[in-house]
Amino acid sequence: MNQAVPAPFKADHQTRMPPEARAQRALSSFAHEFGALTALRMESCIHCGMCADACHFYIATEDPKYTPIWKVEPFKQAYKRESGPFAPLYRWLGLKKEVTTAELEQWQELLFDSCNLCGRCSLICPMGIDVATLIEQARHAMFDAGLAPAELHQSAQRQELFGEPFESKEPYRQKLEQIGRDHNVTIPVDLPKANVLLLVSGVEIDRYPAQVVALAKVMAHLGAKATFRSDALFAENMAYFVGARDWQRNISEYVIREAAAIGAKTVIVPECGHAYTALRWEAAELHGSKLPFKVQHITEFLADALKAGALKLRKAEGGSVTFHDPCQLVRRGGVMDAPRALMAALGLDLHELKNKKGFSFCCAGGGGVLLIERATELRHRAVASKLHEIDATGAERLVTSCSGCRASFEDAAQHFHWNKTPASLLELVANHLA
Amino acid sequence: MDLLTFARGPALQFALVVFTIGVAWRIAGIALLRSGKLLSEPRAPLVKALLAGLATTGSRSWPHPEFIGRTGAGEAIGYSYHIGLFIVVLAFAPHIQTWAGFLGFDWPALPSGVITIISVITFALLLAVLFRRLTHRVLRLLSNFDDYFSWFITTLVIVTGLMATAHFGGRYETLLGLHVLSFDVLLLWFPLGKLMHAFYIFPSRAINGYLLARKGAPS
Amino acid sequence: MTHSTIGDLLLQNGVSRRAFLKYCTAMASLMALPPSMGRALAETLRAARRPSVIYLSFQECTGCAESLTRAFSPSVESLLFNVISLDYQDTLMAAAGHRAEEARAQAMKDNDGEYLVIVDGAIPTADGGVYGMAAGRTYLDVMQEVGKGAAAIICLGTCSSFGGIPMAKPNPTGARPVSEIISGKPIVNISGCPPVPEVITGTLFQYVSMGKLPELDELGRPKVFFGNSIHDRCYRRPFYDEGKFAKTFDDEGARNGWCLYELGCKGPTTYNACATVKWNGGTSFPIESGHGCIGCSEPEFWDKGSFYAPLSSAAFGKAGNVSPREAAKLVGAAAVVGGAIGLGAAAVSRQRQQKLAGAAPDKKEG
Repeated sequence: MNQAVPAPFKADHQTRMPPEARAQRALSSFAHEFGALTALRMESCIHCGMCADACHFYIATEDPKYTPIWKVEPFKQAYKRESGPFAPLYRWLGLKKEVTTAELEQWQELLFDSCNLCGRCSLICPMGIDVATLIEQARHAMFDAGLAPAELHQSAQRQELFGEPFESKEPYRQKLEQIGRDHNVTIPVDLPKANVLLLVSGVEIDRYPAQVVALAKVMAHLGAKATFRSDALFAENMAYFVGARDWQRNISEYVIREAAAIGAKTVIVPECGHAYTALRWEAAELHGSKLPFKVQHITEFLADALKAGALKLRKAEGGSVTFHDPCQLVRRGGVMDAPRALMAALGLDLHELKNKKGFSFCCAGGGGVLLIERATELRHRAVASKLHEIDATGAERLVTSCSGCRASFEDAAQHFHWNKTPASLLELVANHLA
Repeated sequence: MDLLTFARGPALQFALVVFTIGVAWRIAGIALLRSGKLLSEPRAPLVKALLAGLATTGSRSWPHPEFIGRTGAGEAIGYSYHIGLFIVVLAFAPHIQTWAGFLGFDWPALPSGVITIISVITFALLLAVLFRRLTHRVLRLLSNFDDYFSWFITTLVIVTGLMATAHFGGRYETLLGLHVLSFDVLLLWFPLGKLMHAFYIFPSRAINGYLLARKGAPS
Repeated sequence: MTHSTIGDLLLQNGVSRRAFLKYCTAMASLMALPPSMGRALAETLRAARRPSVIYLSFQECTGCAESLTRAFSPSVESLLFNVISLDYQDTLMAAAGHRAEEARAQAMKDNDGEYLVIVDGAIPTADGGVYGMAAGRTYLDVMQEVGKGAAAIICLGTCSSFGGIPMAKPNPTGARPVSEIISGKPIVNISGCPPVPEVITGTLFQYVSMGKLPELDELGRPKVFFGNSIHDRCYRRPFYDEGKFAKTFDDEGARNGWCLYELGCKGPTTYNACATVKWNGGTSFPIESGHGCIGCSEPEFWDKGSFYAPLSSAAFGKAGNVSPREAAKLVGAAAVVGGAIGLGAAAVSRQRQQKLAGAAPDKKEG
């Protein structure tokens, strides 16, 4: 092997505190939310190593440190030492060492740079362990210890303090309204009463305004009484990526509050992946009670409308397509059939990927990885085989339903000089309304 | 008291008691920790999700087709020796009689010669699995004392059983005594290490399968 | 009482050379000696002087002596009593009372250091040995006295070899085998309850004709007879290998002669000649008659669990082999204890969790 010895990993730090205090904070944080289910998951691991075979970071690099369950190793040790049924024995006999800050610093790379929270590992584990959720929980601890990647911390903090995930000269509300004007379409903002609360992703506003237009168009076409609310504009929940549990709750509380304010029955998550996970499957638990509205991804909403006969579509022109299933939507979210119902109604010649639906490989940008600068090379290595897989379907076009995935594929296309750019399913639908 | 009488008498009794206490302790010790409430609206109806959870206890025994290319071989060896162990433990006449003493009923046995063949194959598979664990880069990183000792004590039981049957390495009753004694040690070790996966596997697969099915996600 | 040679004696009793040679050849093959040895044995035996034998009976049922007298084979076998000079045997000898005791004392004096002692029955040692007395003396005392001048001691039966039934729990008389009473003398244990007749005569024959004791296993038993387990020589072994077992004593399997493992046969851990030499001149042995081997030639066979519980059953519990009820109670109690400890562990863990969580910073600051 003629690889140079890699430079030792240097972790990002936040919040001044003595080094030893970080490990202590991580443990406290872990202790906060840990319970019987987490314990069962941690106890069940039999070190079979199969999760590595599901993770594209391991597959691409063959580096065993990217084994999914290894990513939570310090927390497994801590659990056994602090909270397991034999914990006192482990401590008295010195069988498990205390987790150190230095260890956690090394683990920052494993928990953030090399994990998309895609959930493939959770599907392969023969013991049924939800490894991805364990990694999410570990991220909470890392955040509290001030050991999160700088970019993720910054954007989460920005959204928590200012309500906007990305830096912008103009406030996003204005950019949103400008899109409406530029494309001659009504974008309802701050209506006092509506059935549907719309959310938009910052990535869409900045890079894919056509998606925003498409959203407004289909809503208008269906005659849905829908609105955006400027106090809860964003679908994104940047706190989710960095593991800032309280911030994540605060951010989703704004959505809940606004939905209540307008009396919305449904909240629509636009073409975004993690937004769906954060709102559909985690907001209620953080809120502490059931949500008084339905949360739907835009494809779900449209598929329902299609089934009910309210949405009618023309056949789409153009060549064959293949569909990339966004991880948070499909494997971790359960929205598998809605996109396909829409594609069928559009008469698309769909060539499924070899690893399709719940088994698709991540775009490698998920889980916040796309935002981490130092992870760029690793991310490119991980996504390479996905590009080959897409090519192997023989499809001419790539379609997906998440702006994060779109951005990730576009970045990969640029790096690898790849000939495909991903299209938005929502845009396809909006452009072929009957 | 000779070795065999000790091994199948007081030693076995002690080992059984320690095993039961240990297993109950370990299970209660995690089951009685905090549990969170599920508040998101489920996609699948409760019964369907529960049944899917139950189905997961079986379906996770073999990887989904998308995963097989990479992981099928290792998986197959692992399962094969488990199957071999189950057959030897449950279908060898003397073993069935041990169970019958505890349960009050027995069941038909396989011919002892067949069991010998299966035991030898199982032993070979156990060696293969150890080799894999020692040479596979992921397993080398993950493996600890628990992995190796659990392997050792399981293999010791099989090896001493084969030695006794083959009258190889000593007087038969001594070998048989060692076989039963090694099983006693296995019982003592069981609640302390990864062998507990025999108990965890059902709730873990079922609960996580249920949680996924509840979301409408594949399990 | 001793005649000059065994050869003279045989002729006197009308045993032809030919018959004697046949007998010796048979005996040689019984002891797995080469056929050529038959002639050599005959010559040696013919020229041998009859050794003095003192037969002591202690805590026994006389079954071993009965077995010995049932030895079949050419009637010459009974002549073995003339091949040895049985100078003391309290069941068979004509004399009784003090005369019998005098006969023994005389034999001991005349043959000091050369006489063979045969012992059946265990020796009680509790409370000074009072639980076994004859002619006003304890068995313990007699054994120690007679053992002093013996050339060798042959323990007949499991009681003298290993303690046998008198030593079974709770052993109120403090019964012990000969080997724990006498040291420094060669001891042969011909165990069995009782031993196979030809095993007894074969061993005696070997000693008399070869002048030395046979090769012994770890428990002091002649390897030639005790070298294989019943299981390894059992004619029902193919059924064991095929997995065909009788489940009750009168079911189809039993009537078909299937293996008796499930009915408690201890053949696999019992070493004896029953499966080959058999009983009543090769007529049958317990397994052939449909009852499992009870392991009677092994030490402590009475205390190793029920004769009807299989060898692989757990050997603890009130009756020696745990019953399902007992097992359920034991496991149930242990599960409750374990669950309680687990509950405690969970409580401690939750407490620790509170403590750890309590130390967390105010999260809003970040």
